[in-house]
Amino acid sequence: MNAPKDALLLDVKNLRVDLPTERGLLHAVRGIDFQVRRGEMLCLVGESGCGKSMTSLALMGLLPRKAQRSADHIRFDGVDLQGLPEREMNALRGARMAMIFQEPMTSLNPSYTLGDQLCEALRAHRPSTSAQARERAVYLLERAGVPQAADRLRQYPHQLSGGLRQRVMIAMALMCGPDLIIADEPTTALDVTIQAQILRLIRELQREFGTAVVFITHDLGVVARIADRVAVMYAGEIVETAPVAELFAQPSHPYTRGLLSCIPVRGKTLPGSRLQSIPGVVPSLIGAVSGCAFANRCPEVRDACVQTPPRVELNSHHVVRCVAARPSHMYSEAA
Amino acid sequence: MLTYIVRRLLVGLSVMLTVAVVSFMLLHLSGDLATAIAGPESTAADVEKVRVQYGLDRPITLQFADWLGAALQLDFGRSFYFQNTVMELIGERLPVTLKLGGVALLLAVVVAIPLGVLAAIYRDSWVDRLSLLVAVVGQAMPNFWFALTLILVFSVGLKWLPVAGNTSWQHFVLPAIALGYYAMPSLMRLTRAGMLDVLGSDYIRTARAKGLSPARVVFKHALRNAIIPVMALAAVELGFMLGGSVVIESVYSMQGLGQLAWDSISRNDYPVVQAVVLIIAVFYIGLTFVADVLNAALDPRMRTR
Amino acid sequence: MSSTHLIMSAPLPLPPIPAWRRGLRRSLGHRGLVLGSVILGLIALAALFAPWLAPHDPYAQEVTQRMIPPAWYAKGSWEHLLGTDKLGRDYLSRLLYGARVSLFIGLATALISGLIGTTMGVLAGYYGGRVDAVVSYIITTRLALPVVLVALATAALVGGSLKVVIVLLGLLLWDRFAIVTRSATQQLRDAEFIAAAKALGASTPYILLRELLPNLMSALTVVATLEMAHAILLEATLSFLGLGVQPPTPSWGLMVAEGKAYMFFQPWVIVIPGVVLAVLVLGINLVGDGLRDVTAPDGRN
Repeated sequence: MNAPKDALLLDVKNLRVDLPTERGLLHAVRGIDFQVRRGEMLCLVGESGCGKSMTSLALMGLLPRKAQRSADHIRFDGVDLQGLPEREMNALRGARMAMIFQEPMTSLNPSYTLGDQLCEALRAHRPSTSAQARERAVYLLERAGVPQAADRLRQYPHQLSGGLRQRVMIAMALMCGPDLIIADEPTTALDVTIQAQILRLIRELQREFGTAVVFITHDLGVVARIADRVAVMYAGEIVETAPVAELFAQPSHPYTRGLLSCIPVRGKTLPGSRLQSIPGVVPSLIGAVSGCAFANRCPEVRDACVQTPPRVELNSHHVVRCVAARPSHMYSEAA
Repeated sequence: MLTYIVRRLLVGLSVMLTVAVVSFMLLHLSGDLATAIAGPESTAADVEKVRVQYGLDRPITLQFADWLGAALQLDFGRSFYFQNTVMELIGERLPVTLKLGGVALLLAVVVAIPLGVLAAIYRDSWVDRLSLLVAVVGQAMPNFWFALTLILVFSVGLKWLPVAGNTSWQHFVLPAIALGYYAMPSLMRLTRAGMLDVLGSDYIRTARAKGLSPARVVFKHALRNAIIPVMALAAVELGFMLGGSVVIESVYSMQGLGQLAWDSISRNDYPVVQAVVLIIAVFYIGLTFVADVLNAALDPRMRTR
Repeated sequence: MSSTHLIMSAPLPLPPIPAWRRGLRRSLGHRGLVLGSVILGLIALAALFAPWLAPHDPYAQEVTQRMIPPAWYAKGSWEHLLGTDKLGRDYLSRLLYGARVSLFIGLATALISGLIGTTMGVLAGYYGGRVDAVVSYIITTRLALPVVLVALATAALVGGSLKVVIVLLGLLLWDRFAIVTRSATQQLRDAEFIAAAKALGASTPYILLRELLPNLMSALTVVATLEMAHAILLEATLSFLGLGVQPPTPSWGLMVAEGKAYMFFQPWVIVIPGVVLAVLVLGINLVGDGLRDVTAPDGRN
């Protein structure tokens, strides 16, 4: 890779995803902007239903047939993905953009060996002999922490535990040495003890191979652990984007502040005290949506919130969508 | 898995026995066989002679026991009409019927599976609707009529294919179509349903995310998992075809097992009729057994290891 | 908390639409169901009003008028719209009366086999255990019998006729009724309303008839339509082979058989009854499939 370290790998502007449903058009993603630099780990964090999975599928071009995607541009290494014919998009998928899914138990084909599924990921894009493919598969499995990697090639998915399967999925994503990996909540379905291992693994591999990662999660704890930059999503919009330390130190959107205050902090939250939560529910995104979607739950709501919230740049890398945007100091120490 | 196979095998055997009993009873109790054999012009004395000659005056259980005992040694007695033993007749005719059934099933499968796959991939498109239409119309046509119409169009009208006989491969084309078309709709629908199911699963999403070509996703990953129930159904349909070959073989004069059965029924040649019913039932039971094992192999709980 | 109110106001909840109205709306929207019902309705009407619609007596033989082709052929005449058969009988009239035969056989057979199959299935599903084992075994045995052969063999011995066909098919075609009602009963057996009825001291026959059966109705109707079509096709096959309805009664299958000898020169003799058979069975199947789609739980499609 000769591209400069800070080069923009992924540049998304005004991405929208709409899904026709029985009750009307669901606006799952409502005009989001974000960027990912080479080798960077961007965490996309939000509660379920906020549109983060739809975003990942939209990037990969794997949305369901009925879904409608639009954007000003979705630039991957300078090329707008929207204009690409399907065959070229398919050539990108797996080779330069890979994806890891949430459910390791069902994400592998039960009828084929792991070796078969790993090798086909490589051979679909790079002409190689089966021996070469197997060699790379074993190498990556070992790097992913799968014991007895060579034997695993002959095994079937049902013979492995969830944690091991997810390691296989990670190895599979790396087979072609992609520039970008999109990980859609890869640890959510795993045991807590395994979660930490997988997180550490992803972080290590990302640094070692220089792969950019869009890591989707609902867990701020995960964000704190591995993110370089964070984008907070709510009801189909990105409400705040910032480097991780700054987000935790100076959350500037009421929703972000609300999220952070929900996390019990050792030393601050008294044992036995009530955990905080954000009152209210996410509004329906079916049909016309106007104004700020967080307004009905926001502690700082005001008249101006009936209008689309403005994009406020607090500094060169911290962007908030809120009328009341102001940096605040949640914690005296950095997170 | 093994216990399941053994259990199904035992059930199958006892069903075979029951079928033998039922068909035997049906034939012997639904009318007076002696009168039927003796013929419409016979006198009472003639009928009595026939009754004694064929042992029809003995208690029915005894008759059945004798017949079963012989049948287990593949001795089904001698035909009333032909000189040969029933076994010889069956031996002559069975290959024709099996060949016909095999080709019919092959044709049905070759049409049904691609159609079902296309209907699933292009769901709700014109391909989907067309295949559904073909399925629905196909199951409405009576098979004897379809057989005759095929003759009208292809043998008489276009003169492409022969009408009767079983000597060359051309003789099998029309009968195979007439026999197989009825199975096509259900096979297609099952393929479509299975594919729709599989195409929505997570591992297909993974395969697509890997950038595999659409053809590879469909044929390598999806079809492999959707096809087993279809194969099981195909086995069952073959069983139905063997039973339904009566009409088709008669229309096309195929001289197979079905036609033998029909001719024997018309001639009251009941040893043959009994034997054919049992043989076809045995095939059907065997085929459904294969189908059950196939379906059970799919169930992850049955997988060894 | 600011007192200003904003956001989208949620729409007021609408009063629920009664179930039967929803069912009707769904039925009317289902094209197959509508088409099938129209076809079935037309044929039923034709059968019902056959004596008034038929231009001639279907049994009247006119030797001078043999084998006249339908009106659109050169030698045809408008007096016999669809021509005549080998005995000079008007084809259209025989076709109309044949509809009566087919529909009657279909309904009667479905009724008989429905009674047998439902009884077996409900008993097996409700009591389980030994009863279920016996019934399941009977079903498996019945499935292993080649229906056409057995029907033919029995009809040959007993002699073919309308009554024989109905009884025979009724005694043979109950398997799907039994299978469907058995599994449906098994699912409903542990439902709350059954438990409630039992708690109120209701007798078993009452529970089965008044509580269980109404809930099986939708599945039963679907199976009944399919078996009706099955019976009609089987009767046609039997009659075609000479062991079903006997001449001179007009049965569509019989008409094809009678025309077989002449089919090379007068193809309409076999084409027309076959087409009408196919259309009738198509209509019934469309109705059955449509009913199944409409009564299936939402989210299946």
